[in-house]
Amino acid sequence: MTDTGIGARVRRKEDKRFITGHGNYTDDINLARQTYAYFLRSPHAHATINSIDTAEAAKAPGVLGIFTGDDLAADSIGGLICGWLIHSKDGSPMNAGGHPALAQGKVRYVGNEVAVIVAETHAQAKSAAELVDVDYSVHDAAVDTGSAQASGAPQVHEEAPNNTVYEFGLGDEAATNAAFEGAAHVTELDIVNNRLIPNAMEPRAAIGAFDQGTDAYTLYTTSQNPHVARLVLSAFIGVAPEHKLRVVAPDVGGGFGSKIFIYAEETVCVWASKKIGRPIKWVAERSESFQCDAHGRDHVTNAKMALDKDGTMLGLRVKTIANMGAYLSTFSSAVPTYLYTTLLSGQYNIPAIYAEVDAVFTNTAPVDAYRGAGRPEACYVIERIVETAAREMGLDPADLRRKNFVTEFPHVTPVIMTYDAGDYHASIDKACEMIDYSGFGKRKAASEAAGKLRGLGFSAYIEACGIAPSAAVGSLGAGVGLWESAEVRVNPTGNVEVLTGSHSHGQGHETTFAQLVSDKLGIPVDQVEIVHGDTDKVQFGMGTYGSRSGAVGMSAVYQACDKVVAKAQKVAAHVMEAAEGDIEFKDGSFSVAGTDKSMAFGEVALTAYVAHNIPEGMEPGLKEGAFFDPSNFTFPAGCHICEVEVDPDTGVTQVVDWVAVDDFGTVINPMIVEGQVHGGIAQGVGQALTEGAVYDTESGQLLTGSYMDYCMPRAVDLPELRLAFTETTCPSNPLGIKGCGEAGAIAAPAALMNAVTDALGVADMPMPASPQNVWAALQGAKQAAE
Amino acid sequence: MYEFTYHRPATVDEAIALLKSADDGKLLAGGHTLLPTMKQRLASPSDLIDLGGALATGIDVSNGCVTIGAGTCHADVATSSDVANAIPALAKLASMIGDPHVRNKGTIGGSIANNDPAADYPAACLGLGATIVTSAREIEADDFFTGMFDTALGDDEVITSVRFPVPAKAGYSKFPNPASRYAMVGVFVSSAKGGIRVAVTGAGPCVFRQGDMEAALEGDFASSAIAGVTQADGDLNSDIHASAEYRAHLVGVMARRAVDQATG
Amino acid sequence: MKMNGSYDLNAAREDVWAALNDPDVLKQCIPGCESIEKLSDTEFEAVAVAKVGPVKAKFKGKVELSDLDPPNGYTISGEGQGGAAGFAKGGAKVALEETAPGLTRLTYDVDATVGGKLAQIGQRLVDGAAKKMSDQFFKNFAQAVGGEADNGAGEAEAAPQAPAQTPPHPLGENQKIVKQLSYLGVAAMVALVVWMFFNGGP
Repeated sequence: MTDTGIGARVRRKEDKRFITGHGNYTDDINLARQTYAYFLRSPHAHATINSIDTAEAAKAPGVLGIFTGDDLAADSIGGLICGWLIHSKDGSPMNAGGHPALAQGKVRYVGNEVAVIVAETHAQAKSAAELVDVDYSVHDAAVDTGSAQASGAPQVHEEAPNNTVYEFGLGDEAATNAAFEGAAHVTELDIVNNRLIPNAMEPRAAIGAFDQGTDAYTLYTTSQNPHVARLVLSAFIGVAPEHKLRVVAPDVGGGFGSKIFIYAEETVCVWASKKIGRPIKWVAERSESFQCDAHGRDHVTNAKMALDKDGTMLGLRVKTIANMGAYLSTFSSAVPTYLYTTLLSGQYNIPAIYAEVDAVFTNTAPVDAYRGAGRPEACYVIERIVETAAREMGLDPADLRRKNFVTEFPHVTPVIMTYDAGDYHASIDKACEMIDYSGFGKRKAASEAAGKLRGLGFSAYIEACGIAPSAAVGSLGAGVGLWESAEVRVNPTGNVEVLTGSHSHGQGHETTFAQLVSDKLGIPVDQVEIVHGDTDKVQFGMGTYGSRSGAVGMSAVYQACDKVVAKAQKVAAHVMEAAEGDIEFKDGSFSVAGTDKSMAFGEVALTAYVAHNIPEGMEPGLKEGAFFDPSNFTFPAGCHICEVEVDPDTGVTQVVDWVAVDDFGTVINPMIVEGQVHGGIAQGVGQALTEGAVYDTESGQLLTGSYMDYCMPRAVDLPELRLAFTETTCPSNPLGIKGCGEAGAIAAPAALMNAVTDALGVADMPMPASPQNVWAALQGAKQAAE
Repeated sequence: MYEFTYHRPATVDEAIALLKSADDGKLLAGGHTLLPTMKQRLASPSDLIDLGGALATGIDVSNGCVTIGAGTCHADVATSSDVANAIPALAKLASMIGDPHVRNKGTIGGSIANNDPAADYPAACLGLGATIVTSAREIEADDFFTGMFDTALGDDEVITSVRFPVPAKAGYSKFPNPASRYAMVGVFVSSAKGGIRVAVTGAGPCVFRQGDMEAALEGDFASSAIAGVTQADGDLNSDIHASAEYRAHLVGVMARRAVDQATG
Repeated sequence: MKMNGSYDLNAAREDVWAALNDPDVLKQCIPGCESIEKLSDTEFEAVAVAKVGPVKAKFKGKVELSDLDPPNGYTISGEGQGGAAGFAKGGAKVALEETAPGLTRLTYDVDATVGGKLAQIGQRLVDGAAKKMSDQFFKNFAQAVGGEADNGAGEAEAAPQAPAQTPPHPLGENQKIVKQLSYLGVAAMVALVVWMFFNGGP
């Protein structure tokens, strides 16, 4: 092993260029004769387009072309797709509704793309857009998640009666009903998982470029999965054949899920670049990001848990309405179904679970995966209801959890997951120790003496990462397989390029993937270059989301490295005239067992490329590829505990302590993993304490459309986070990795809201625990007490 | 942003002349409100007259007054030891405006002339009984802030400095909007020879004096004296961050904290 | 959004009704109104420059009157376009009641929407700006109708900005804005353009 191998705290290789302003983001790329696109968007949540008059705008300075949905239709460009087909309980397929890249006939949310104006400059395109005259007939809008299915609600898509996309069910309803009959205690909660806006630091951007010489297109775009973008744009939308479309996702400044999806803007830029005959760049303004990046969460849920008198869990029943927004985004349908209901068992042995999810259309921005995607919502339901049950029954919330933990693996839950490994007692015990759980009473008294209300909250979360294997996800409706690929190219001089289908947009793959190669091939990390994000360079890949790059992407690299070593071993054996079985590979050196004969890795590589002296029949070179398709999801789990202090005078909540004990399996780089946990917790604290998209419930106007009103978490909102790891290795991949990218965002909201409700002494209150909401909850509690 | 003609006059008189001759001119005194508005295409002045080279900057403490040149940025007030010695609450207020960018670019003259209903400086002016000195006259703060974004300034009148009388005691307590950090409620209190002043910003359409609290504090300048004084919510602002009722409640809390700060 | 309120005017109901239907009166009452044209007995077209703080934008609006019941009231609805700034649309039911000879209570009930950039970035200032605009409108309108009743037609435009010289009466001061006279109030009835003026500043 090298000192830059697995487990080392290697500084991030990519940071130098990011910190010194040498990153290469989509907007840093400027092509010759580049033009600029501006999208005219609907100011209405729901309207029929009677006519679009572009005559005046077309005459404006610098304008090169104006296109509408009619132009897309004339070119037989298909609509944007949703790649996961969900079936309702009655077996019927979901009601999708069309999603043209530029509106055709109707607009369905504020920000819906109506026309694109292409001009010499961005300012010219924007000014010309003001001259486009669109005649709308405005309709009432369906905005609220909970009432979208009500009779008489405005209909978003004709294809979806009552705005219902599907009525999904999972689990055994009869067994669950039976579990509730005669249960000693039933806890019921009505909870809302607030809607979030992603807010990646880099707004979405795209450059479409058509090359007349080769009849081929190039799309530079802010994507977490460029190959999937190419596949969708070619096979489903029909912009260009797959081999005539190159998609490049260069440095990408954060995604959190919002850059998985294939959006209207990149589709239009690449298509229109041929019509204009010049490259077209579009960069979202922050206002557009707020309106049009796919939002996250937005569930309304009723949950009931049945327990016997000593606190043993008997059953769980969950009914959720999930807001899909105005159109089904790329993976949206899977989020509240197979990424949500399947995790409702939490860390617990619950004999019977039945979950129903109605997905609904509303006149709001599309909703899709956002850091955690379904799993934060599941964790929030289960951890809020367990905490509430403990309070109602007068049980210690840690003990109630311990009593019901899954302890034997593999464990098959009633919601189709097979937990493969874990030690939930270890993480809660460690977390309780770190936060000094037994000393909480004293701290609460001290807070009270200072006029503050103190609360403590647990979140014993579990998530399913990797999103695999392909056959399994295929049987559940996924349109693609969810494996990953890698190619390890050893150069003649012995340094290495790794081509991966994973995509780094903040995760630090250039460091961690290099650490794996360093560990496997015995060369320093600075001898390893990670190549990703370009369909012309990298073999097919599925991209990065769902905490899958370590468990799936790195496993493919692992396998490719094994193949490289196997071939090199043959070469080394041949050169050193030894039996292949006698060759040992250690610390970057091939040696013949029991002798002092050895060859460095680089020497072997050179030998393979020079090919003067390699085994007969062996192909020259040293380059191997691998596709890895895991046997199961991975199941990271852990326990977070936080303490808050609430100022009853103002409603301000301060998070005063936070411990997180996570089991991610094998950890490649503890520093990067800690960074992922920090970021995840910050995002989860954002959801629970500060964030929340607000639409005017009648007009469908987005009221939190800028940082004036959408409140991101700040450094002052977080205490010093105290982290620890426990480790059970994952059996479904060779590295034993479980994944760490989403854990913090999954665990944090429940921990924080359990703590806030504990401090306030209320059963529930809506997220975020903003000063106004906390003050209102306190007023409500006061009134109830009077 | 639409196109405009940029001017950088060297004197206030020159600036006023440019403003008079412009078709639709706007003065720029920092620009952290005006420029974002222009970028959003919500304003399109024909001429932008940058006062950066014309306004006096600097702080003078003499004759019982702190006089601040209209072109002085918030960061300079926040870090001035002279201000900190004379009126610590004023330095503290300046340190709480916006973010470092705003504090290093925004000016006291620009802030007061804009009179944003949630800005901090109007609370200091009204709470200290400041005098706003303009190119044409001197205006008492009580007469200056006339309504939401409205002031007593004439069309071609430019603020040149602000004169704050040094009080015996003063305090400022601000409850920032969680997202924007503008004052959702900010209360400035002072006790001086001229009497007690309690000025409230952020809560209503324009900064205002809380007369009931001033009366209660007149005989006893202590937070306990206003514990029972409530702010009516009828005319207060209401938005997604704070209902009028919540703002009214916060006026009481912030006022008490400001008094504690002044007396503590 | 919905809002309602009432306003007591020192004028006879017939005069108030006439003023509500008189483009000239409306023009002088709507803050920043550049033009108002009567397209028909029930349709007006207005152009106004809105100015609130740093925001300055030109709005064009169409207003339609329906349910006309002279002199008891009408329903007014309309929509204004402010280009890059956004739009406002909505309607108001306006009722006039004679509370005493020569005194009229105007009651309004508004349902309106603001959209586009205005709604997206100006959330915090919608209420305040709308109230300010409606205050200005009422101040002007009260002076206009009061002036007509006291001084005869044609004097309204020259009405001083100082408080109107009308005696207090049992229903309150002439210009008292009743609580909850937030938002556009009856300004909406004249031209919804008035209502959508607010700052979208940072």
